[in-house]
Amino acid sequence: MRYRRIGLIVYATILVCCFCGLVIAFFSYQEPTRELGAIYLSRAPSETGAANIVSAIYLNYRLYDTLFEILIFSVAVLGVRFYLSDYREKEIVEKIPESQIVRTSADLFFPPIFLIGIYLTLSGHLSPGGGFSGGVVAGTALLLCAVALGANTVGKRFHEPTLRWLEWGVLLVVLSLPLLPIVVGRLPFTALLPPGTMGKVISGGSIPIDNLLIGIRVFIGTWVIIHYFMRHRGEV
Amino acid sequence: MLMIAGVIVAVILFGIGLLGMIFRRDLIIKLLSLGLVNGSVMLCLVSLGSRANGIAPIIRGPENANYVNPLPQALVLSAIVINFAILALALVFVMLLVEHYHSTDSQRIEHEIKREREL
Repeated sequence: MRYRRIGLIVYATILVCCFCGLVIAFFSYQEPTRELGAIYLSRAPSETGAANIVSAIYLNYRLYDTLFEILIFSVAVLGVRFYLSDYREKEIVEKIPESQIVRTSADLFFPPIFLIGIYLTLSGHLSPGGGFSGGVVAGTALLLCAVALGANTVGKRFHEPTLRWLEWGVLLVVLSLPLLPIVVGRLPFTALLPPGTMGKVISGGSIPIDNLLIGIRVFIGTWVIIHYFMRHRGEV
Repeated sequence: MLMIAGVIVAVILFGIGLLGMIFRRDLIIKLLSLGLVNGSVMLCLVSLGSRANGIAPIIRGPENANYVNPLPQALVLSAIVINFAILALALVFVMLLVEHYHSTDSQRIEHEIKREREL
């Protein structure tokens, strides 16, 4: 039985190594002559008004992808909420005494990290950033606070029902925003606002609005995940 | 050259992650290996879109600068978010299993489930 297990391990290792070796040995990639990326690079600045071509692609040309992505994120957050809120509260783990270093660094770093999160969210069409990364950065600032003060202390400052309404309301707005052009008599998923001049703060059509809404959604989702994880495994 | 190096590193990371998912018995290490596989796929996609001396696709200066292909980066962005969400959900399931069986060892959990069925 033991030899059989060792044999299986060796066999699987050889198989995986062979697979990796074959992929590396026969890897060849020719750049296509008419590259799709080049078309986006030449057309996106004038069509969407966003300097960041990546956010122009995922919030304008391929908005459909992003909508389902945010839906998957919401379903995962809902799953975390569903499976952990029904879960028996653990016996209270003794709280670790507050450390001066952690407390001071949380005081020092919470405002800048949160501000960076807001900046990344709002400038997603001009520079690297966007709703997803900005929301996660702002959520990380709350994680720092929760480590320093305890998750329940931070959680009490949020009004739970309002948070829930905001979470699902923002999702509803994000999902229905692309349908809004129907009201003005245009096709859905077409541009609602004019692109504006590239490089200005107010430009990029509806990309900043989408970024802001996605940022709020991701921020609340990150906070819910952090809060539920900490609450059911004892205080840090 | 950068592209080839990126793909080779990605394939090696993929192999390490796959072996980790098969052989390590700890559920959390299995999930970390899954994250490694996911990261290797992202690295592979981004390096396929790279160019020699390319710069990030954010238009600041001249029109015809050597920008890298923006499309794989936009797709990888979706993959990162979905990876994060799935990892969080999978950790919740591991927490439920640990609550019930008091172990993260997958073989021990399997053994316990078999014993429960026989009873």
